[in-house]
Amino acid sequence: MTLALPSARDEAWRWSDLGALPALADAQPSGQPRAIDDLWIDTPGPRLLFVDGAYDTTRSNPGPVRIGSANPDASKHALGRLAGTTGWSLTLGRDAASETIQIVHVATGGANHLAAEIVLDEDATASIVESFAGEGWTNRAASIRLARSARLMVARRFVQDAGFQSHADTAEIGQGASLATTSLVAGAADSRLDGHLSISGIEAYAEAGGALLGRARQRHDAQFVVRHAAANGQSRQIWRAVADEQAIASAAARVEVARHAQKTDGEQSLRGLLLTRTAAINLKPELEIFADDVKCGHGATVGELDRQALFYLASRGIAPLPARAMLTRAFVADAVARIGSEAVREAFADTADDWLRGTIA
Amino acid sequence: MLNIQNLHAETAGKAILKGITLAINPGEIHAIMGPNGAGKSTLAYTLGGRPGYAVTEGLATFDGADLLAMEPHERAAAGLFLGFQYPVEIPGVSNLQFLREALNAQRKQRGEEPLSGAEFIKIARAEATSLGLDHEMLKRPVNVGFSGGEKKRNEMVQMGIIAPKLAILDETDSGLDIDALKAVGHGINTIMRKPDKAVLLITHYQRLLDYVKPDFVHVLADGRIVRSGGPELAHELEREGYVGIDGVAA
Repeated sequence: MTLALPSARDEAWRWSDLGALPALADAQPSGQPRAIDDLWIDTPGPRLLFVDGAYDTTRSNPGPVRIGSANPDASKHALGRLAGTTGWSLTLGRDAASETIQIVHVATGGANHLAAEIVLDEDATASIVESFAGEGWTNRAASIRLARSARLMVARRFVQDAGFQSHADTAEIGQGASLATTSLVAGAADSRLDGHLSISGIEAYAEAGGALLGRARQRHDAQFVVRHAAANGQSRQIWRAVADEQAIASAAARVEVARHAQKTDGEQSLRGLLLTRTAAINLKPELEIFADDVKCGHGATVGELDRQALFYLASRGIAPLPARAMLTRAFVADAVARIGSEAVREAFADTADDWLRGTIA
Repeated sequence: MLNIQNLHAETAGKAILKGITLAINPGEIHAIMGPNGAGKSTLAYTLGGRPGYAVTEGLATFDGADLLAMEPHERAAAGLFLGFQYPVEIPGVSNLQFLREALNAQRKQRGEEPLSGAEFIKIARAEATSLGLDHEMLKRPVNVGFSGGEKKRNEMVQMGIIAPKLAILDETDSGLDIDALKAVGHGINTIMRKPDKAVLLITHYQRLLDYVKPDFVHVLADGRIVRSGGPELAHELEREGYVGIDGVAA
């Protein structure tokens, strides 16, 4: 199979390294997945397991989720369009509410692709948690459509031990609807996350954020766009990037405000933490505003751990490594603290802690 | 307990301490006073092991061990507590989490079992009550949004929880109103005035010494101890100022 991949000359792809993908696309998965018990979060609700992109009927309890075809609406995305139209879908009718849906994706090498489609009707609410583990290239595309006053929370953690994880969202957010996505990248694989969230109804809310943690020679790249196409919308993009050793973590967040999207309230906070001077962080906040009555705040900063704080912790007996972990955890906390479910939030915080302790490798 | 001999130290390439010799025994409270720029804070930082402060000559032992060879966190585990003139704000880390981590890190280094969350909170609340620090402050991020007095009370709460053998308190009285000063003084007396503990109080003014009675007072000037005496020396300094003491430039 010949892969047509974007090159680094393409502005939207210049921080990503897709060099490993052709070989992974040609490789075969081993079919021997790692243990998955530790990936389930202790919270009630449906559980779905995909191994190398294939649904595991025996170890799943899908609840309202359907397996089969899905239209991820990713034809314009270089990786998303490879996800195909096979996957899972969640359709909730008016006023329906689902318990937290957990989805675990385990890969065993090679490449696996899967599509997802989430459609919530008026006033429906859902919460989805996905965990990606194992090795190989895991590629996903998801389409989200929220009708009036629907609410969706999506939390994803990418903790593969090797390989490449790519995920592309497209979302259409209706009047008064709310979408919050949080991503935690804390494994040893490279990653590329994309999102194009479009606020198409008035008074809607969109949030995209997360934490990118990289060490060794990892490359993480998150590229998110929130488009305000209707008035009185609110959006929040909060990204925290941490890079150690020779890692490169990049985040680009863009807000687009259409001419008629007055009273838009958009906020971007991009912050990077360099744990060594050999690592690199790229942050790119972008604003494109055509309406004249809007409030759009943005901030982008990159720095190192505060030496005074490190000495303060040391003077109280905390050794250098735990002290660095403590301050790094505090730095990342903002991004993960926004997850609504306490169990999920704590599980994600633990995952970040594991990474900080260096136990995920 | 603490034995300093001919200690020279520099920071940013500039010699600050120029030969300090001082012995502190268990049960003693020593005060070091001196004008601005005498090297008081440098002495505290050098003993605490702050990066950027280099010892160029001399030695310091703590309970017979080479203090200067230890990393800052090892000095803490050995029983040394450094009270900061300007306690550092740490956004995102709660006071409780910070203190529990600190205490358990020290216990671990000493081969003791870590305290559970419940055991720890009990101790922390008791110390906060004893020092008049609102329990809510324990949940807040370390020193963030604390007033000057609250920060110093918080240092004392930390000292109470950690229970060190030797406390080096760097201008703990600076920026305090009279109530906070009393609370801090009470904290030092309650926590540290014991036969097996010792304190090195670094201060510019005499007023903290109204609440914490030192056994010895030393005057530091231009990196050297130029005079030592009993508590009466502090009163003399208060009355007559530093000018006129041998070795203190006018």
